[in-house]
Amino acid sequence: MDKVLEIGHFSSGFCGRLFAQNGADVVRIKQDPLPSWVTSEAMDLYLHSDKKMVDCQDRDRIRDLASKADLLVFEGTSADSVESWGIDQWDVPLKSIITPFGLTGPKKNWRSSSNVLLAMGGYTNCSGDPDKAPLSIPGHYVEFQAGQFAYIAANAASFAEESATIDVSMLECVMALSQFTTVQWSCADHIRSRHGNDFWWVVPTNMFTCRDGWVFINITPNFWDACVAFLQLPELIIDSRFETNASRMANRDELHHIIQEAIAKVTKEELRSRATECRIPLGVVMTFEEVLEDPHLLARDFWQEPIGKQGLRMPDIPFRFDEIKRNPPSAAQLVDVDEVWNG
Amino acid sequence: MARGPLSDIRILDLSHVWAGPLCTRILSDLGADVIKIERSYARGLREPVGDPIGGWIGKDPGKEPWNRNAAFVKLARNSRSVCVDLKHKKGREIFLELVGHADVVIENFSASTMSNLNLDYETLVEANPNIIYLSMPGFGKTGPYKDWVAFGPIIEPMSGLTAAMGYSLEEPRNSGVALVDPTSATSAAAAIVTAIRSRKKKVGGSIKIEMSLHEAGVSFNGPWLIDSQLGAPSPVLNNGHPNMCPHGVYPCKGEDEWLALACEDQKDWETLAKIDESLDPSWTIKERQEWADLINLSIAVWCETRTKESAAEELQNMGIAAGPVNTVPDMFKDPQVEERKFFVPFERAETPMPGNPIKMEGIDSSDWTRCPDLGEHNFELLEDWLGYTPDELNQFLEEGVIANRPPS
Repeated sequence: MDKVLEIGHFSSGFCGRLFAQNGADVVRIKQDPLPSWVTSEAMDLYLHSDKKMVDCQDRDRIRDLASKADLLVFEGTSADSVESWGIDQWDVPLKSIITPFGLTGPKKNWRSSSNVLLAMGGYTNCSGDPDKAPLSIPGHYVEFQAGQFAYIAANAASFAEESATIDVSMLECVMALSQFTTVQWSCADHIRSRHGNDFWWVVPTNMFTCRDGWVFINITPNFWDACVAFLQLPELIIDSRFETNASRMANRDELHHIIQEAIAKVTKEELRSRATECRIPLGVVMTFEEVLEDPHLLARDFWQEPIGKQGLRMPDIPFRFDEIKRNPPSAAQLVDVDEVWNG
Repeated sequence: MARGPLSDIRILDLSHVWAGPLCTRILSDLGADVIKIERSYARGLREPVGDPIGGWIGKDPGKEPWNRNAAFVKLARNSRSVCVDLKHKKGREIFLELVGHADVVIENFSASTMSNLNLDYETLVEANPNIIYLSMPGFGKTGPYKDWVAFGPIIEPMSGLTAAMGYSLEEPRNSGVALVDPTSATSAAAAIVTAIRSRKKKVGGSIKIEMSLHEAGVSFNGPWLIDSQLGAPSPVLNNGHPNMCPHGVYPCKGEDEWLALACEDQKDWETLAKIDESLDPSWTIKERQEWADLINLSIAVWCETRTKESAAEELQNMGIAAGPVNTVPDMFKDPQVEERKFFVPFERAETPMPGNPIKMEGIDSSDWTRCPDLGEHNFELLEDWLGYTPDELNQFLEEGVIANRPPS
């Protein structure tokens, strides 16, 4: 079993969560919480279940603890904050270090937050309406993705039985996950910008208001005929304005208006049913409360129920081996530093 | 191929579009030998219909446009390509022979495709009792939605994110970047590295991994989903934050130029309040939330005389988290990005491609190989791994079992 020492916040917490949920012995050094999108109770349950928690700020003792670990996952707020811990001198075979901008470079000590990194990494410029402020993706996407990369790297190095110091930059994680945005500039001279909910290049791919909410459809060219059936507007099939994706792009406003009119008075349930029948890609906009009651997730036994939290639904990590469900998670257990990894 | 800790791992990649190929790109950057198993029409027809979404590599479709689709190329570095018809009896046989020499098979077809090809998990295990098989349909292989047609952008609203992201409760917005796809890609890569280590510890044995884009998206929203059961209020919209204020995106000097800023704590606020004497540095977070409109206006006024870069620089010098809302050309010239050589101009026409966010000894983009041409490694791989002769392979080519160009 891997012995993992975790120091940091959301990124290291997510990395440690993956290790803990996959059977590692994860010890987390307790930290003062940073401002989060949710309550500490929710974040602790999500990130730190099945871990041991040590309340110790004595860096020498933490260093001693690290010497008993197989892996250190360390998240620093900057390169200098990492250096101040003297981690390069710590005797641990694998160090996975996560910082906002990486351990080198002129901005290695810049302050950051999720919205700053999303902005600098090119995501924010692509989200929101053209006539309004760009929208930053809420939540902890950046931190969790950086934690996931740190996990991938640490496991790869462990597989090869290599000692390593791994430098994961959160900004680079965002830029690495950039869809076609970068090549659209370097290969087509086009700067990707904001189009509201309209995906723009594949029409119709947009959100529409229906009687009791919103639905999103994603009609790539091979789904156009089925979409016409879904809309119950057979005349569109012979309408030259909408014959090809290029012509639908050229006449997007008219098409969006026609679709909006066609579905405005139909319920989400009816539209979903029609989409299933016609086999078109359609998703209903759901609140978190609705997601928790989603019959598909319930049927797939996706939710975990933490021990002692009867009825609470916590998402599992999104992969299982051989269809075996993980044991119910339990809240992090506070232990004394001297009790960890003795013998 | 790239060097790296996964250099002993062979992956057969049947995936397409974004999530699957991004997963295997992450693994090939770490040295895995990724073999793209492609259909002859996987990269489009021989004669292109219009320009692809990401343009052409070198801005030119060239004589083989199917090999120059930039969005495809971006995801296929460090891999090899075998183009084989899985619907052809011999093609299927060749694929199963390759499975016998591989460690991992990954696919993101619809739920029933592999069964329809008679290539389900049990068949793969017959070919290789130590195979790791990862399937990633939109909604997984079981459950009431398993046969629904899915792309990332329709799953995002079903994860709860869209309702939490708009300008107001009446204006929900999807991210512009099909967020569920990269979330699924990294989750799949995490699953595979976990599996190869697990198999190594067990000393062999097959592993079946079933994923769905849907669950990857929902899983990332876990903290909100838990919080909503604990009685938390509705999410804060329009670039706000429940526990930071100010927190937003502000217009700067120039057209469509913006700055993102976050004030993490009271100390930050005491510093930031100096930009406008009408702001009281003693305001608590609760008071700042009450005065958010005024604060946001003050910041906007301060920003309007500054470029996004100079505003970010100035605020960073004050110790405040701030950064420009970058376009791609902005990112390319960011000194931080340049110094760390994140974008790597190694493809044809020196096209800069996003690098690997994992930096460690033994991994270096200097040994990366360009995206392979369709079927470029048919002969090399089928000879090396399976021992077919050039004559046999030429016959397969004639019979359409393997291909190196799309149909007309």
